[in-house]
Amino acid sequence: MTGGAAGKRGRLVFPALVAAFLGALALSAATGPVAIPFRKMADALLHGGDDTPARVLLSLRLPRALLGALVGGALASSGVAFQALLRNPLADPYILGVSGGAAVGALTVALFLSADASSGLPFFAFVGAALSALAVFLLARRKSGVSPERLILMGVVVGAFLNAVIMLMVTLSPPGKIPGALYWLMGDLGLGTPRRVAALFPYVALGVAVLLLLSRGLDLLLLGDQAAFQTGLSVERVKTATYLTASLLAGSVVAVSGLIGFVGLIVPHGARVMVGSGHRRLLPAAFLLGGAFLVLSDTVARAASPAGELPVGAVTALAGAPFFLYLLRRNGGRS
Amino acid sequence: MFSRRARVPFLAVALLLQPLDSPATAGDRFPLSIRDDRGVTVRLDAPPRRVVSLAPSLTEIVFLLGRQEVLAGVTRYCNFPPAAAAIPKVGGVSDPDVERVIALSPDLVLCTTDGNPREKVRALEEMGIPCFAVSPQDIDAVFAAIRRVGLLLDAAGRAEAEAAALRRRADRASASGRREGPEGPRVLFAVSTSPVIAAGAGTFMDELVRLSGGRNVAAGLVGRYPRLSVEDLVALRPDVVFVAGMTGVERFPEEVTRWVEIPAFRDGSVVTLDGDIVTRPGPRLVTALEQISGAIAAWREGRAKAPARGKGGKP
Repeated sequence: MTGGAAGKRGRLVFPALVAAFLGALALSAATGPVAIPFRKMADALLHGGDDTPARVLLSLRLPRALLGALVGGALASSGVAFQALLRNPLADPYILGVSGGAAVGALTVALFLSADASSGLPFFAFVGAALSALAVFLLARRKSGVSPERLILMGVVVGAFLNAVIMLMVTLSPPGKIPGALYWLMGDLGLGTPRRVAALFPYVALGVAVLLLLSRGLDLLLLGDQAAFQTGLSVERVKTATYLTASLLAGSVVAVSGLIGFVGLIVPHGARVMVGSGHRRLLPAAFLLGGAFLVLSDTVARAASPAGELPVGAVTALAGAPFFLYLLRRNGGRS
Repeated sequence: MFSRRARVPFLAVALLLQPLDSPATAGDRFPLSIRDDRGVTVRLDAPPRRVVSLAPSLTEIVFLLGRQEVLAGVTRYCNFPPAAAAIPKVGGVSDPDVERVIALSPDLVLCTTDGNPREKVRALEEMGIPCFAVSPQDIDAVFAAIRRVGLLLDAAGRAEAEAAALRRRADRASASGRREGPEGPRVLFAVSTSPVIAAGAGTFMDELVRLSGGRNVAAGLVGRYPRLSVEDLVALRPDVVFVAGMTGVERFPEEVTRWVEIPAFRDGSVVTLDGDIVTRPGPRLVTALEQISGAIAAWREGRAKAPARGKGGKP
């Protein structure tokens, strides 16, 4: 299973992924309603500048592209981790209550503090995500440790409860109080300011680094607890670390970008088709593929109409579903 | 636009109809049959005495006609005039409680085709309650709706007079906004500031801006309420920004306002309006038109004083 893609073609996969990743960033930075000549762009990138095109490029487009790359990469990595941890191909970063908790946090800000989606929302969304992830973990834990089944069960229960809270908040809120939060719920990279990208970066770097360190453990988790235990692995410690790290990754990106579906669920499968299921290769491949994919989707969302934006989450699913079906079919469903 | 030609016969009709409301002639037009905007013919044998309004705009029209004593029920959003708050509530616009409406035993329900769910209205009709639906899409149609509700509520003369007065105010406001030629300011009408969501073509706000001589920068975009990024705003360069104050936040975030490329933020030409008056197809649309025209006239005056700033305008 692991060795399949690591042949001659496998060696070219990473350079191709890096090229796609950088190409997506460049395309995103070159696309937008303000016309910027190519030479002007190069000039602004190299020397900075204070005129309108330079400021549009440096403080609007690049931060947004970088945010897309970080968010897409983090969601895909988190998805890889959850799929291994839960031994479930349908797992995604939102499966264990992170999304519901983040949504309740965001709506709380919109209803009781300020409907300004750019002020307190990321912080409260992160707190909500962290609290619900922690609640699921503590509820699922037994003396004997955590099992995938209990985690999923508790995730569903907590998620259903939070869903009810969300419905009540939306229904009982005065009209017009929550459009900002609703757009955030649909997924939104528009909050990408340089400051926020810088704030998100350490969370994503730390999270992905920890998952990489855990990659051997993740490989063994896929074989089942018994097998992993027989190799002398501290199964519970790997599971706990994986759960907390993947939740932190999901929670921190949800806080700045809202709920962007599809990336965390499908990109891991696409990456597996490309590099096999060994996590040392799978995690970086998923990060690059997820980042490139989300940045491209956001570029399409921004460029689809003459001005104005579509929800990026709609584009990820609309464009991504057929692409990954093709990818899976071409590889004979090997994933 | 309001045609000048139409105004004279219009006033004549208004004067002719005026005496109809006097007690001596009350109810003369009944039994009455009128087709509503769905094409349904509503028949009333006598002037209704218990009316339920399923939209804030219709509640405002009933009050305008001085017939509020017939209102037995309104929606929870009916907050104007303030006296409307004291009338029993039958739920919201998109979620009226059919059973509560029936419990009030109305002899007429006033509703809209845009906001009220069709199947709820049908449920009321199946209970034998006549339902009259309006769906005005522009200001002229609002005036027409006022006259038709006037007919239904046995206040035809009052309705003609009020509609004529509103039309005169609208014409005057529109003329003051357009005074100095067609080259008006580029206008953004924001219904939300975070994220920025604009009122595009097909909204009352777009019509109000047009009537006031402004050019709606969102009119050419896809959708009635396009969502704009900061870069869209930099590219669209609005001179004047109106905010429909219904979101709870009328202020734009600093990451938007710091762009000096956007003339409205650079010059402080940001005007907040009561969100209710720009979105409800009721009499207060004219108040909104007056406020918008006033702001656009003020912008023209400001530009006349500092001609160097205006881009592409006349000196």
